[in-house]
Amino acid sequence: MNQNAAIRTLLALYTALFLAFLYGPFVVMAIISFQQGPEGGPQFPIIEWSTFWYKHVLGFAPPSRVAPLPIGEALTRSLTLAFATMVVSTVLGTLTAQAFRSQFKGSGFVFYLVVLGMMVPGVLLGLGMALVADQFGIDRNWWSTAFVLHVVYTYPFAFLVMLAIFNRFDKSIEEAAWTLGVPPGRTFRKVTFPMIFPGVLSAMLFAFTLSYDEFPRTLFTGGREVTMPIAIYGTFAVEIHPNLFAFGVLTTLFSFALLTIYGVLMSMSVRRARLRATGLQEDVA
Amino acid sequence: MMELIRLTKAYKGVPAVRDVFLIVREDEYLTLLGPSGSGKTTLLRLLSGLEKPDAGQIHLNGEDVTYRPPHLRGLGIVQQNYALFPHMSVEDNVAFGLRYRLIDPVTDEGEVKRRVAETLELVGLTGFEARMVGQISGGQKQRVSLARTLVTRPKICLLDEPLGALDANLRERMTVELRKIRETLGVTFLHVTGNETEALAMGDRMVVLDKGSIVQADRPDVIFSMPSDVRVARFVNTYNVLEGAVRDGEFQSAGQAMTLPEYARGSEAGFYAIRQDAVEINAAGTVPGPGRTGLQATYIASEFLGSRFAYIFRMPNGGVFEVERHLSHSDPVTYKGGEACSLSWNLSDALVFDPSGAALETTVFKGAA
Repeated sequence: MNQNAAIRTLLALYTALFLAFLYGPFVVMAIISFQQGPEGGPQFPIIEWSTFWYKHVLGFAPPSRVAPLPIGEALTRSLTLAFATMVVSTVLGTLTAQAFRSQFKGSGFVFYLVVLGMMVPGVLLGLGMALVADQFGIDRNWWSTAFVLHVVYTYPFAFLVMLAIFNRFDKSIEEAAWTLGVPPGRTFRKVTFPMIFPGVLSAMLFAFTLSYDEFPRTLFTGGREVTMPIAIYGTFAVEIHPNLFAFGVLTTLFSFALLTIYGVLMSMSVRRARLRATGLQEDVA
Repeated sequence: MMELIRLTKAYKGVPAVRDVFLIVREDEYLTLLGPSGSGKTTLLRLLSGLEKPDAGQIHLNGEDVTYRPPHLRGLGIVQQNYALFPHMSVEDNVAFGLRYRLIDPVTDEGEVKRRVAETLELVGLTGFEARMVGQISGGQKQRVSLARTLVTRPKICLLDEPLGALDANLRERMTVELRKIRETLGVTFLHVTGNETEALAMGDRMVVLDKGSIVQADRPDVIFSMPSDVRVARFVNTYNVLEGAVRDGEFQSAGQAMTLPEYARGSEAGFYAIRQDAVEINAAGTVPGPGRTGLQATYIASEFLGSRFAYIFRMPNGGVFEVERHLSHSDPVTYKGGEACSLSWNLSDALVFDPSGAALETTVFKGAA
């Protein structure tokens, strides 16, 4: 009994620490983002609570000595790049995982070849890519060279997620569809894909977030038009103002909003299925 | 009609199906009995096209379909685990084949609905259309799986241990219903099972499979009363099989001598089988009458099986010998544990097999042929 309580306390402490480390930085960031501006800097104590830096980020603040964040275009670029990377990596990852469901010659080698993309240090890969591009006279752009590296980096993640999903997938369900006369392609669309869709969503999430805040590979291969992480890094070089934190809070809230919408949609579809079923049970009884 | 010609398949060098030759006729209920690992599931997978054979051919209505992919064969398979589409309702599960098949899909939704309703009625699931498959019982899933296959009107419906996961009560009911459904539709059923009672009760014809090859294919009553091989006698599970050899004109097994039936005299014999319900139990030392033979054994226990009693005896060599008595036939007798008894039977009831396991031809058999 006593020992049980001790273990429980220990685990509670561990969980508390975990949460503190996970959310601590965000809480600090959120607090500082409400610093008075434009004089107030990223420090405690708060001189005066204000929403100045939020206005500054959104472009409503009166002109001051602090330059506005160069985020407009960079943000669009990052989102576009992350979206394209997500689509390509998820499609590639799903197809590759599908191929790995049956043993083929050299499958072990191909596996390591794919996974290498996430193992090789990003700085080396970025630098290497930049050198190769220069050698061949290829322009470095966020939508070309950087895009390729983003796919190389995120594709293994999508692949591994899908591999795990297919591992648990009951093949006999597909076989049932084939024996009903449905060709394999149509079976994939109508049976396999809807069933692995939650996995595909996770793969997409992985690919999107990894690409969205990718730094070392983009730094070397992104060219002149920078993406969000590079743009933010660029502002560090001068001076850090709380507008960065305000921006951080806004993007985090945006992500939370997306996740909430996703969660609500999921639970709604589950509830609808359950309603349909219970409605019928009454008829039967 | 489907013909399997010398069908052979091995997994990593281990043969699963060996040289199988079989004709599946139109409009019949064919049961395929085999112990686990006998290759019965592999055989079904070869027929449905889910596996490719190493050798041999499959002909369907005269066409060679050996290497044709499953979706072009027009056969249905009801899998052991039902394999329903979990993201669809019962109705969509059943309609799936009609809607999306490559050959002759039904595009008129009204027609799809009509056929689905018709098939659901056949399997007794009317009213369950909108349920999700996660919300129905095992027996209902089984019916959905069957309906999903039958609605496409397959040339042959393959059933892989369809009753395996059902409880005894439901199993009994499905046994009758499967036969009824089959007769209504006139579709050939090929029913694979490891349960001898199921195979005997349901089949118009029955095939016994062992270690990947067919041991016997015949009517269930013939297989039951005249197993062509000692393995078949063992699978049908109603024979006491004694192993031994012929010495001085008598079958020697378990340290006892039994008279051979007339047709087996002078032949080499390796196995002697006697049906459990053909044996009479007498007090120890009773000498079998003319035309009868027997052995001495020790009574161990009895088992009440409803309409019948099973008496279990131990032979001197430690082997078990079972005797079955129907209560309509005789009243139950109580024996003391460890009591010595004399067991006897009519010589004409005994079956004798040669040392390789093949049945010795009986005179009855010869006369019939």
